[in-house]
Amino acid sequence: MKILVGIKRVVDYNVRIRVLSDGSGVDTDGVKMSVNPFDEIALEEALRIRDAGNAEEVIVVSAGGDECQQQLRTGLAMGADRAIQIQTSADLQPLSTARAFLKIIEREDPGLVLLGKQAIDDDNSQTAQMLAALWDRPQATFASKLELDGQSATVTREVDAGLETIEVDLPAVISVDLRLNEPRFVKLPDIMKAKRKPLDVIPLEELGVAAEGNLEVGHYAPPPQREKGIMVEDAAQLVEELKNRGLI
Amino acid sequence: MPDKETTSFMRSLCMGQIEQEVLFPFPALTADQKETLHEIASAVDDLLVPRAEDFRHWDVAGEMPADFIEELSQFGLFGLIIPEAYGGMGLSNMSYSRTLQQVGRHDASVAVTIGAHSSIGMRGLLLLGTEEQKQRYMPGLATGERIAAFCLTEAGAGSDAAAIKTTAEKQDDHWLLNGSKLWITNGGIANFFTVFARTKQEDGSGKMTAFIVTSDMQGVSIGPHEDKMGLRASSTTTVLLDNVKVPPENVLGEPGKGFKVAMQILNSGRTGLGGGSVGGMKHLIELATAQANERKTFGEPISSYGLIKEKVGRMVVDCYTSEAVVTMVGGLIDAGYKEYAVEAAISKVYATECLWRSADEALQIAGGNGYMREYPYERIVRDSRINRIFEGTNEILRLFIALTAMNDVACQLQELASTMKDVFNDPIKGFGVLSDYAREHATLRTGLGGSAKLQDLDEAIAPQAETFETETRYLAQAADRILRKHGKNIIGKQFATKRLAEIMIDLFVLASTLSRVQTSIECNGVEAASREIDILRVFTREARARMKQNFRRIDNNDDELLKALADDAFEVERFRWDTI
Ligand SMILES: Cc1cc2nc3c(=O)[nH]c(=O)nc-3n(C[C@H](O)[C@H](O)[C@H](O)COP(=O)(O)OP(=O)(O)OC[C@H]3O[C@@H](n4cnc5c(N)ncnc54)[C@H](O)[C@@H]3O)c2cc1C
Ligand SMILES: Cc1cc2nc3c(=O)[nH]c(=O)nc-3n(C[C@H](O)[C@H](O)[C@H](O)COP(=O)(O)OP(=O)(O)OC[C@H]3O[C@@H](n4cnc5c(N)ncnc54)[C@H](O)[C@@H]3O)c2cc1C
Repeated sequence: MKILVGIKRVVDYNVRIRVLSDGSGVDTDGVKMSVNPFDEIALEEALRIRDAGNAEEVIVVSAGGDECQQQLRTGLAMGADRAIQIQTSADLQPLSTARAFLKIIEREDPGLVLLGKQAIDDDNSQTAQMLAALWDRPQATFASKLELDGQSATVTREVDAGLETIEVDLPAVISVDLRLNEPRFVKLPDIMKAKRKPLDVIPLEELGVAAEGNLEVGHYAPPPQREKGIMVEDAAQLVEELKNRGLI
Repeated sequence: MPDKETTSFMRSLCMGQIEQEVLFPFPALTADQKETLHEIASAVDDLLVPRAEDFRHWDVAGEMPADFIEELSQFGLFGLIIPEAYGGMGLSNMSYSRTLQQVGRHDASVAVTIGAHSSIGMRGLLLLGTEEQKQRYMPGLATGERIAAFCLTEAGAGSDAAAIKTTAEKQDDHWLLNGSKLWITNGGIANFFTVFARTKQEDGSGKMTAFIVTSDMQGVSIGPHEDKMGLRASSTTTVLLDNVKVPPENVLGEPGKGFKVAMQILNSGRTGLGGGSVGGMKHLIELATAQANERKTFGEPISSYGLIKEKVGRMVVDCYTSEAVVTMVGGLIDAGYKEYAVEAAISKVYATECLWRSADEALQIAGGNGYMREYPYERIVRDSRINRIFEGTNEILRLFIALTAMNDVACQLQELASTMKDVFNDPIKGFGVLSDYAREHATLRTGLGGSAKLQDLDEAIAPQAETFETETRYLAQAADRILRKHGKNIIGKQFATKRLAEIMIDLFVLASTLSRVQTSIECNGVEAASREIDILRVFTREARARMKQNFRRIDNNDDELLKALADDAFEVERFRWDTI
């Protein structure tokens, strides 16, 4: 079985985000970029499945400009067997990404597709769901536990009400949550080994997918600065303060 | 193209020749190297960021736990410069330097542990080892199963390295080593030592030879961990050699050529310390800017005040120019230039002094907090102090920089050549040996291909290029004048020598920065490079003022007065005056 893992290049989670002064986007000039942390967890899970003998090959896929090869190489250094870049200069929206991934699925015929539950840049949380629908296969989102059992997978999902366990037939799309596992560190020699692993570049047009959008971005703005909190003596003062602020 | 065997940018410059092709375009990493470095940097951050608190504790404790060193090995940090064929990363000099920069941002003790291994401990093996020696030791050194140390210094031989007393006696089927080495970085964790000892030559003279010594050899022992000012978590110990039998196949390089081996190692390893220094400066800029934005006095953040901006602005200039020289030297080495000893010495002096200044100013910006141990500043100040002392003190390197150039000039001056013949290899003067090392290569090509002008630089940096050309002409005249003035006595004229060294340092930093900015303009356009051009402007104006001052002081100075005051203090060994 092959496992396909999606990898997105995002601003590193440690970086303090700065919005461009004209509100047209986020400043990425000279900013550290990384693999979306949820995607790292998805990849870690795929590697563990492979290393336990339940899959033969782990393929990492990313859609983006040539910069995203850096993140694909990181995926290879973590242990993926090969990488595919869906080459596009456009900033793909979830639906286009899902359509492009579907084309890769048709080529590769994976038994499992693992994606992060969302990317920490746009927080869309849509690609996995859309991909499952387009592919017409089962989906399990927000996985915090995953067990494979021949032709099906048992997935524990983190939902608002707590945990939910479901079973899905394979092939399926599973999106992963934070607590699924702790991704491994990349070691330096792995970086050199990764250079020799195959990385295929496929232009988006070649897949017959258009980079079209049904979402429109108005503008970017930083969240308002949090005001300093105060300590209240008792419940009465709390109610008082809330009233003063017109909150109750 | 300049001949890479014989061309040295700075040595030619002292004769008024600008070998522009050597420094232009600014050395660039290939796309592939850049990508690899991005990944290395990111992996290094992932490994070291979560350790920030530990580094603070280990500084206080004065030791790094063994399992962390094991973690560094596992991670692969000991294999940076070892060719891939032996299981290492095979990084170029530039990439190695950039990697140490990344490590140096997090902790100087870790950077020095890695640096002492790669920059000096095992570099002799890499540069001069036989295939058989490499096969035997490289794989273990790459994984960190073997950690390396460089053992030159002794109680009576620091700067004057030629004075070492450790002996190596040739016996039937081995060499017998006896002596004790002082302040050896990684001493307590290493099991591969590059040891320098004095060997009796057939002609009876005592020359230096380099040996590979391993800790499993009988008679090798290690002293206690030194209690140091800084780099407290890095291991520094004595290494004692008591009748150690070393097999002949463990001689490194040619017997009797040990001094040259030591110098080759130190020269080639300089970009490690330089990279670590640049990394330290980048970290300090992050700390100081965040601190200054946060701290308010008189109702405003201190980042709004001119005196704070002056400090931070200088830190930026220092960091950019240091990175320019350190990268330049790495680039020269990678490009195959052989005569880079003077340039490498300049990069060491300049980058370590910029780091020192930045650390001091960042602490000042933090005010009283800067002095407190719970903040990182005082530790960074303590950690960076050593850089001006080890791998050649900055004084000795200044003498080396200027005397090497004057030796070349002296060779050029027909009328002086014969009287100067023996001046530069008088070993009693300590650094004579250094100059001797440089002179062995002194088939230097001089005054041929270079020009007195920089060609094809962008108009936006023309004034700075012109300053460089003008001061270069003065440099050549000054070297000539100093030599004619002092003749044979130049060796004893350290004030004059130092002035020449300062000018050479400023000019090489200026040339490297011109190259970096010019290349940035070519790649990104004047608009995008405007801040870099500003950096160049600030540096050039200050360097020009310093150079003018140094030129002026060649003939007009208080050297003799100062020396007399010092001599008087030496005589009484106290301060003479008091108010009571
Ligand atoms: C933490 C630490 C780690 C070290 N690691 C290593 C290591 O791994 N391997 C190793 O071999 N060594 C190591 N050393 C030793 C280091 O290289 C020496 O300390 C250094 O070379 C200076 O020698 P010294 O201390 O004997 O000073 P000295 O040579 O006694 O110099 C004292 C002062 O006199 C000045 N001076 C000396 N000669 C002259 C001259 N002719 N003209 C003008 N000024 C002069 C010097 O610049 C210095 O300011 C380490 C030292 C320290 C503190
Ligand atoms: C060991 C120690 C002992 C001490 N002992 C005493 C004591 O006995 N009694 C006591 O009262 N205090 C004491 N202090 C406090 C000391 O006097 C203060 O640390 C000092 O006044 C600086 O104040 P600060 O630390 O708040 O720095 P800040 O005032 O925050 O200054 C931070 C930096 O900003 C600069 N800066 C501030 N304002 C401006 C401006 N308007 N323009 C330009 N630059 C500016 C400062 O020069 C400094 O570089 C002690 C401090 C230490 C570390």
